[in-house]
Amino acid sequence: MSLTSKLQEVLVCLRAGRVTLPYPAQSAPLPPRFRGRPIFDASKCIGCGGCASNCPAREILVYDVCQEIRILKYLGRRCTYCGRCADVCPEKAITMSHEFETATGTIGDIQQRLDLFMSTCQRCGRCFTEPSKLEELKLKGYRYDDLENERWIFRSQAYLEGQPVVDDIEIELD
Amino acid sequence: MAAREKLNLLKERFGNAIQRADIPAEDRLFVFVDPQSVREICRHVFRHLDARYVISIGADDRPHSGDFLVAHHFAFDEDHLLSSILTRIPADEPAFDSITDEVPAANWAEREIRDLYGLEPRGHRYLKRLVLPDGWPDGVHPLRKDVPFDHVPEGFDPDREFKFDEAPEGCTVVPFGPFHPTLDEPAHFRLYVEGEMVRGCEYRGFMVHRGIEKLAESVLTYNDIPMAAERICGICGCVHNVAYAQSVEGAAALRIPPRAEYIRTIMLELERLHSHLLWVGLACHIVGFDTMFMQAFRIREPVMWIAEKISGNRKTYALCVIGGVRWEITDDLRAELRQVLDQLEKEWRPVVAAVQKDRNLKARTRGVGVADRHLVKDAALLGPVARAAGVDIDARRDHPYAAYDRVEFDVITADGADVWSRVIVRALEVFESIRIIRQCLDRMEPGPLSLDIQDELPVGRMGMSSVEAPRGESHHFVITGENNRPRRWRVRAPTYQNLQGVPAMIKDQQLADMTISLGSIDPCFSCTDRMETIDIRSGAKRVWSQEELKQLARGTRA
Repeated sequence: MSLTSKLQEVLVCLRAGRVTLPYPAQSAPLPPRFRGRPIFDASKCIGCGGCASNCPAREILVYDVCQEIRILKYLGRRCTYCGRCADVCPEKAITMSHEFETATGTIGDIQQRLDLFMSTCQRCGRCFTEPSKLEELKLKGYRYDDLENERWIFRSQAYLEGQPVVDDIEIELD
Repeated sequence: MAAREKLNLLKERFGNAIQRADIPAEDRLFVFVDPQSVREICRHVFRHLDARYVISIGADDRPHSGDFLVAHHFAFDEDHLLSSILTRIPADEPAFDSITDEVPAANWAEREIRDLYGLEPRGHRYLKRLVLPDGWPDGVHPLRKDVPFDHVPEGFDPDREFKFDEAPEGCTVVPFGPFHPTLDEPAHFRLYVEGEMVRGCEYRGFMVHRGIEKLAESVLTYNDIPMAAERICGICGCVHNVAYAQSVEGAAALRIPPRAEYIRTIMLELERLHSHLLWVGLACHIVGFDTMFMQAFRIREPVMWIAEKISGNRKTYALCVIGGVRWEITDDLRAELRQVLDQLEKEWRPVVAAVQKDRNLKARTRGVGVADRHLVKDAALLGPVARAAGVDIDARRDHPYAAYDRVEFDVITADGADVWSRVIVRALEVFESIRIIRQCLDRMEPGPLSLDIQDELPVGRMGMSSVEAPRGESHHFVITGENNRPRRWRVRAPTYQNLQGVPAMIKDQQLADMTISLGSIDPCFSCTDRMETIDIRSGAKRVWSQEELKQLARGTRA
């Protein structure tokens, strides 16, 4: 019977009452896991670049100005707030904030630029980064130090296919 | 074992035409066949073995084997088997035998292969451009491996016109879309109308084709793609996210932890809940029943909130990485999710009861947009459209993935084959989804969320996965590759098949029923930029070019 169905529908509406929130004057509370705009903490960042290598939107750039200064730039244009950068960051230097009202006429409002002073090796004076999680995997057990020759090893490329395991180590002399 | 059995049937009948076969799992079958007999084999599989057509896929394998690949995918739903019939096409003779005459549903897929790979489907009767834009130069095929992902072809001509077919005798052309009040996304239908009756139509879409497959094959890496895949669809993103991850995991023979499977199931069903509630609302809106539109959206909102609490976003859950999931469902969230489901069930019941008896809604949707069993078979229609025609298919039951083999649920079917039946199927599927989530919450055991993958994924393996999206089966196919990314990734969204059934569904119907018929497949599609004006007095027709429209809009035109 159609009339009863109409009455039922009226009941559904009446029971609901008013549900609209007075946004933007007041917004619904955000859950703790909410993924808003990522915020980079320069004091924690070690400049490993793991976030840049894992960003699906390619929104994080790494640029080495010189030995000691590495620039990390978050572009904020087509970032989808997926949170992969925060996932892979070994130092938890990236937090997915609760900012979501990010519409702006000036892109600089969202962008972030970190000028990172990289640690330098006390012996050779060149900067080094701690290996990212990914690099640790790829190094397959190689440590940096070459005990036999008592020399500092800057980087091993042993993970590259078709390369000999022993002679491929770039060695920084004292 | 169904795969072995089907393979033997094919071998018995076609003998040497079956070149090579691979059965990587008991529910997957890959058969390489002789290109000469592919049409015959596909006909046999489709008509005699009664398989359901899924999709045809092209791939450029020239850097590795020197050949192109063309694969036709078929599903044996009762035997829980997904199969792929592959042919190697030599690079110096880029053409393959079309199967569209035998399998009508392959029409679009073969035209797409022609557009994107430049492989000519021999014997296809309607070789119009499908995917590439009108101004794109001939002879440039973007998915070929020698075309860079950011290639801008020379000779792009923005003024080149798309040649529409002639309207049938006695019919007037009514352009529907690209921008139409009842379309949530743009699409262009050119309707042939005789009085008030629609006699046929031509479709032109794909204008917001974003080249996401090319991007995945050349720029992104395995774990980037799930986040991009999710953005294929604004409603069923998680489906693509999961389907991609599953097809890679299938190719690499990875078995993900059980808890991750349950979480994937829960999130997929949450997505179905919000999608169905949204659709019922939109369908009511299209037929002018805005009260129920508002109420459906209100009831839906807590589903969005709980998804946000679990994943950090209302809609884009960013759920999967290869080997598992990213978000834990803690005990607190579990309890909250249960409450949301209870509330939803309580509120949805009276709505369904009211809608089921609503005479106005019935009058507006009964016998409208009919897609019967035969159309479902020939056009390979999917999901609620197929189930509303009494075709009992559901990838969750037929090709179980994630934790669907460990939960009980009913596949809802109806037999009206019309829009009304689709409303009912979707309205009732909401309760099944609630039931599935509750079982998952009961059964999930503590455990890791993701595999710890130490090795690179094997190269050159194939994987496919079907996931039941709210609007039908979503099918993904992956060939794994070098450099931490797949060689080929093909997404077949359900609307790709369902849209091909629309011309038959709206034929010989009132023009006013067009919107709800189209809406009833729950479409997701793309746009075109064209405007046609007809001078009513003289009947003169003129088509505005993109450049003219720009000038008009900027006021620079006299």
